[in-house]
Amino acid sequence: MDTLMKILNEIDDSINWEKEKAVIDDRLLDSFGVITLVSELEDAFGIEIEASEMAAENFNSAEAMCQMILRLKEK
Amino acid sequence: MAYHTAVYLALFLPLALLAYQLAPKKVRWCVLLAAGYSFFWLISKGLVAYLLGTTLFTHYVGIWLGWMKLRCRTEAEQAPKEDQAEIRKQYKRKEKWILAGGILALAGVLAWLKYYNFFAKNLNALMEISGSTALLPAKDLLLPIGISFYTLQAIGYMADVYWEKVPSEKNLGKLALFLGFFPQIMEGPISMYAQTADVLWEGNSLKGENLSKGSVRILWGLFKKMIIADRLYVLVRAVFDYYENYNGIVIAAAAVAYTVQLYMEFSGCMDIVIGSGRMFGVTLPENFNQPFASRNAAEFWRRWHMTLGVWFKTYVFYPVSVSSAVKKWNKFGRKHLGKYLTKLGVSAIALFPVWLLNGLWHGPQWNYIFYGMYYFVILLGGVALEPVRSKVLKLWHADEHALYWRIPQILKTWVIIFAGELFFRANGLRAGLRMFESMFREFTPQKLWDGTFLGFGLDGADYLAIGTGCLVVACVGMIKERKLLGEEGLQTLRTPVRWALYYGLILSVIIFGAYGVGYQQVDLIYANF
Repeated sequence: MDTLMKILNEIDDSINWEKEKAVIDDRLLDSFGVITLVSELEDAFGIEIEASEMAAENFNSAEAMCQMILRLKEK
Repeated sequence: MAYHTAVYLALFLPLALLAYQLAPKKVRWCVLLAAGYSFFWLISKGLVAYLLGTTLFTHYVGIWLGWMKLRCRTEAEQAPKEDQAEIRKQYKRKEKWILAGGILALAGVLAWLKYYNFFAKNLNALMEISGSTALLPAKDLLLPIGISFYTLQAIGYMADVYWEKVPSEKNLGKLALFLGFFPQIMEGPISMYAQTADVLWEGNSLKGENLSKGSVRILWGLFKKMIIADRLYVLVRAVFDYYENYNGIVIAAAAVAYTVQLYMEFSGCMDIVIGSGRMFGVTLPENFNQPFASRNAAEFWRRWHMTLGVWFKTYVFYPVSVSSAVKKWNKFGRKHLGKYLTKLGVSAIALFPVWLLNGLWHGPQWNYIFYGMYYFVILLGGVALEPVRSKVLKLWHADEHALYWRIPQILKTWVIIFAGELFFRANGLRAGLRMFESMFREFTPQKLWDGTFLGFGLDGADYLAIGTGCLVVACVGMIKERKLLGEEGLQTLRTPVRWALYYGLILSVIIFGAYGVGYQQVDLIYANF
């Protein structure tokens, strides 16, 4: 979680990542931000994020991202 | 039989509603399906075969993908743990090929019918320039109405099955209904399988609340179309078809008029479509969300033709963004070029196909391709200038939500939109460029009030109706944007006030709608795409 929070704060430190639950739905992070985030997450956690994972529910909060990372690591 | 015609509103829709309600719950989907195919037949006659063919093919590809996934699961479960990943990988590769074949076939039919003559014409022109004879003869190809819309829905369904967002549909009738729901056939909205397939299938009884809300939505659409769009059509046609005779403010005003016409027409049609769906208890996705309140071009495309934007984002932008080529570029870029240039490169690679396809999707004309590329450049420029914008905001201690910052941004976006629509509507790219250039010649604002605009087929009363209509639409837009009436909308108003508004809407359409002597029924613009 610490590594994830570090990445998220590097992407945009104006977002309260610990509390925010609708980062995508509320458009706090746009599609270009999501793309940058994807490559950071892939590098940091050694996972592969495919197009099928590019859904708002996977990126709306730090918790949702954490769950996605854990799920992809198990694959 | 377009959606704003009396045949649809007074005959087809009521008959479909009646037949739907009278039918037993179990077979109501059959009524909707029969209505869809009858509707298509009445417009396109034998071309309904394309819709049927697309449905059968999409159903087959879905079944095939579903079967592969089942086999993959079974084989992986039975295999030793160390082999499971490899089995899944092999199946994934096969499924990818099936999906690619499915997409190519459907896109191929669309491309053949829509772009063959465009391709042949341009290739022949090139051959003639190089001194050779024409290579490809022109063909008489008939384009089924709505093909650009139902093809995207079909491709979206196949991709969703591939991604396991939805299970493959075994029931052909359910898939056929998803692709052939009659209110959506001509102009969308482009829905995803998970959004509408189940509710269409359920066959719930009609409800008074849905019927009344649907009717109000339809009336609102007629208000936009008949009072504003159909009047502006007269002015727009007069200027765009004889653009050589005009310049300066006349061209600029025509570009604004066309943008307003297109919005009122397309969003008005969507109101009729969504209202029709609502009457059956089906919530179709929204296509517009106050686009003229956008502060930049990117936001505009999140508010204008939203379902097309979501489709391109889901099925083109994101898949390209996370493709192995882009990932390789990302790694290389971050090592050698830094974050800024890498992000710019990724954005360019992901945005280019989206906007090329967006332009092409609208039709086989260079001005549509130019329109797509115009937004590609503007959106990429937005990404490139983002750090500058942030620095300016910080340096001036400016609040980006304050009116002094928002209003100039909105006005700048309007200029971008109007210029784009000028090229979009122009009779070809050459005409568009000529019109754009002539806008800066003899720019005399006096023409706005010296009677020049009374020579375009509209009189003072028409301009008053257009102006008042736009004001009403703008006020409603502001109420929606600021959520002044909450989620319940008009329902929060007192009954006498609400009914006064309903009657006002009905009477204004009857009294001020553009029909009768001197007007002609105007076709729906997006039905031609």
